[in-house]
Amino acid sequence: MSALRQYGALSRRSIVNTIRQPAAIVPALVFPLIFLALTAAALDRSTDLPGFPRVDSFLQFAVATTIVQGSLFGAIAAGADMAKDIEGGFFERLVASPVARTSILVGRLAGAATLGFTQAWIYLGITSLFGLEVEGGAVAMVLISLVSAVVGAGIGSLAVAFGLRTGSNEAVQGAFPLLFVLLFFSSAFFPRTLMEGWFAGVAGANPISHLIEGLRSLVITGLDAGELLNALAVAAGLLVLGIAAAAAALRGRLKAAHG
Amino acid sequence: MAGMSGTAAAPVLAQGLVRRFGDVVAVDGIDLEVREGEVFGFLGPNGAGKSTTVRMLTTLLRPTDGRAVVAGHDVVHEAAAVRRKIGVALQEAAIDPLMTGRELLRLQAILHGIDRPESRKREERLLDTVGLTAAADRRVGTYSGGMRRRLDLALALMHEPVVMFLDEPTTGLDPNSRLALWDEVRELNARGTTVFLTTQYMEEADRLAGRVAIIDEGRIVARGTPAELKARVGEPILRVLLPDGADPARAREILEGFGQDADGDGALAIHLKGGASRMGPVSRALDEAGVPVEGLELHQPTLDDVFHEATGRRLEGADEDQAEEAPRKGRRRGKA
Amino acid sequence: MSAVTWAVARRSLVLIPRLPSTFVPSMVMPIFFTIVFSEGFRGLANLPGFPARETVDWFVPMSAIMGAGFAGITLGMGVARDLEGGFYDRLLSSPAPRPSLITGSLMAAAARSLLPFALVMVVGVLMGASFAGGVVPSVGLLLVAATGVSMITAGWSVAIALRLKTQQSAPLMQVGFFLLMFLSTLQMPLNLLTGWLHDVARINPMTQVLDLARAGFLDLVSWGQVWPGLVALAGMLVVLVGFAARSLQKVIP
Repeated sequence: MSALRQYGALSRRSIVNTIRQPAAIVPALVFPLIFLALTAAALDRSTDLPGFPRVDSFLQFAVATTIVQGSLFGAIAAGADMAKDIEGGFFERLVASPVARTSILVGRLAGAATLGFTQAWIYLGITSLFGLEVEGGAVAMVLISLVSAVVGAGIGSLAVAFGLRTGSNEAVQGAFPLLFVLLFFSSAFFPRTLMEGWFAGVAGANPISHLIEGLRSLVITGLDAGELLNALAVAAGLLVLGIAAAAAALRGRLKAAHG
Repeated sequence: MAGMSGTAAAPVLAQGLVRRFGDVVAVDGIDLEVREGEVFGFLGPNGAGKSTTVRMLTTLLRPTDGRAVVAGHDVVHEAAAVRRKIGVALQEAAIDPLMTGRELLRLQAILHGIDRPESRKREERLLDTVGLTAAADRRVGTYSGGMRRRLDLALALMHEPVVMFLDEPTTGLDPNSRLALWDEVRELNARGTTVFLTTQYMEEADRLAGRVAIIDEGRIVARGTPAELKARVGEPILRVLLPDGADPARAREILEGFGQDADGDGALAIHLKGGASRMGPVSRALDEAGVPVEGLELHQPTLDDVFHEATGRRLEGADEDQAEEAPRKGRRRGKA
Repeated sequence: MSAVTWAVARRSLVLIPRLPSTFVPSMVMPIFFTIVFSEGFRGLANLPGFPARETVDWFVPMSAIMGAGFAGITLGMGVARDLEGGFYDRLLSSPAPRPSLITGSLMAAAARSLLPFALVMVVGVLMGASFAGGVVPSVGLLLVAATGVSMITAGWSVAIALRLKTQQSAPLMQVGFFLLMFLSTLQMPLNLLTGWLHDVARINPMTQVLDLARAGFLDLVSWGQVWPGLVALAGMLVVLVGFAARSLQKVIP
């Protein structure tokens, strides 16, 4: 079996496995949407504040955050499934087969990327029904979904690295809230221009802020090379970091088990 | 309740108990009467309706039909009074693994309205009785299966109940723990507590119970003392094992004189008239006729046979019991 | 209070440190919310008509209420654990009066709500909350609101636990509480809410409770500000504790 076919097969497995768990998917897709609806409704007047970016509505401001939350889901699923494969023994079977080692990772990441890509479109679609206008148009939407895919793969590979190291589904799921903590200490929920003091500093240093602001600019201003580049840089950075971590973790596990 | 006055003192009295779960009839008209001070055995395979019946008798489940009076009170209308007088140790030990044994005993005392000084006394006594004094301050999650059952027993005894309900107390226990628990049940009964014991193990019912009711598919199919029930099945069965290829015709002729044909599970067998003491004459007769015999097995009827008679099936766990049984009188095997 | 009520409550409290997986998050979350909301949404204080000068005065009471609400939910999770593990049978088959099983949970919830309350107070002081209406009224009114909310969520979560009989019902318990809070003046005051959310928040009794909780911090201490919150607490308590009691009836054969 050529490497490409292996990649394809394992990717397909990742995606299908995740889709087959509606009990996990539905809440993961629906909750960010409900959260978006509630906060957009509540904070609508805050868009009048001096210093708030010019937006049609708080919805337009917040949708980028929701999309990033959505790619988190696919990312955590990748890590959790990796851990479950280890717990269930499938990982050992893969390793004992002639399958290329890299395809184990590629399969998972392709799954996370696909989910990141798809949920971006789902969210953009649903919010457009509620009056969302993406200033950057169709090109912006394509870019947003691509960046989401990369983010999904990037954080997914970090999650997979964690899954490989711990071999525990529970540990991976337990790490999920930590990602949310990172999200709160950024400009995900409110503009950085309206923050002060140490908190503004932390948010400024947090790469998630730049990722979200980049995606946000595609929605509220249009195609701005500078902002977009920031977002791409963060996404790419996450991917590189994540793949390195995952590769190292895979090597570590294989060495521990097989010498 | 009209007509019940003469038996109102019976610790457990059930008339026509029925319990349905939707379309499924788990308990289909059960009548029971337990006498004061006895150990009453309720024997049947898994799924027969034993636990459901016990839950009705212990007020944890409402009967769909019929009535029951336990410790002098109706289980439906005077449930609280019943609970004050009964002790319950169900199949799944109802414990909290995060609490210590002593904490659970203390809580049990409070639930039953026992004041602190009295509760302290009983805690120590019960821990001693079930042999858990050393482990009392450890979390129950660290206890073995046998220890948990014993704690469950202690908890059930805290308020000094008149009737004790034990639902499958030794299921899943290793043989030593099982024997230890049997001793505790005997002691408990010796001190005057009436015991209602449910079990799927015929050995348990045979050894502990004064009277037994056998339940299958929601109905009682036999009742009486273990001895009575076994006697009803008939004479013991004698199996004659012949060497491979031997002609059974001659052996059969001889055996005809000693009793009727029986189901020998593949081997020649008869219901041995006159019981075990006739084994000698059978052996001599076969010997004199020159019939080569590999072995003679005497199989005393068991409660499992009683069950088989009544239902055509065997109790689950019966094989397990036979493996554990000590060698019986009269069993001689030529084979290793 | 009967001995059984005390025993049920005491058991719940004793078990807190023995279940670290729920204990630690319940302590961290209220502190986290106080900091992140007060700092992240600092700009809200500049909105004309915003009732607080600093967002910390607005969000400290909210975080205490959130923490108290989650403390109440742990009681329902405990009942679910007992039902799954079979321990609840022991409680039910004892002669203990049924109501004391519920009142014991309520007492434990109120006691448990004190911890997030205290933590949020400490963080609030460190972040410069002004206690504009006076320290005693601020803390006192918030305490009343917090303990009330913890008993309300205890009633809710215990009812869910008794009906669904599984620890998997925990997300449902949490979501119910979240919605109740987010459909009210959790983030924005009523005068700054628009559209459908304004209409919903206006009739949501939690809005009155949050008003009560914030009264001291916003220097709005008056009977008019306070009595609707007390009525709302009492009303929700009756409804949800009643829900729990009816659910217990269903479990009893």
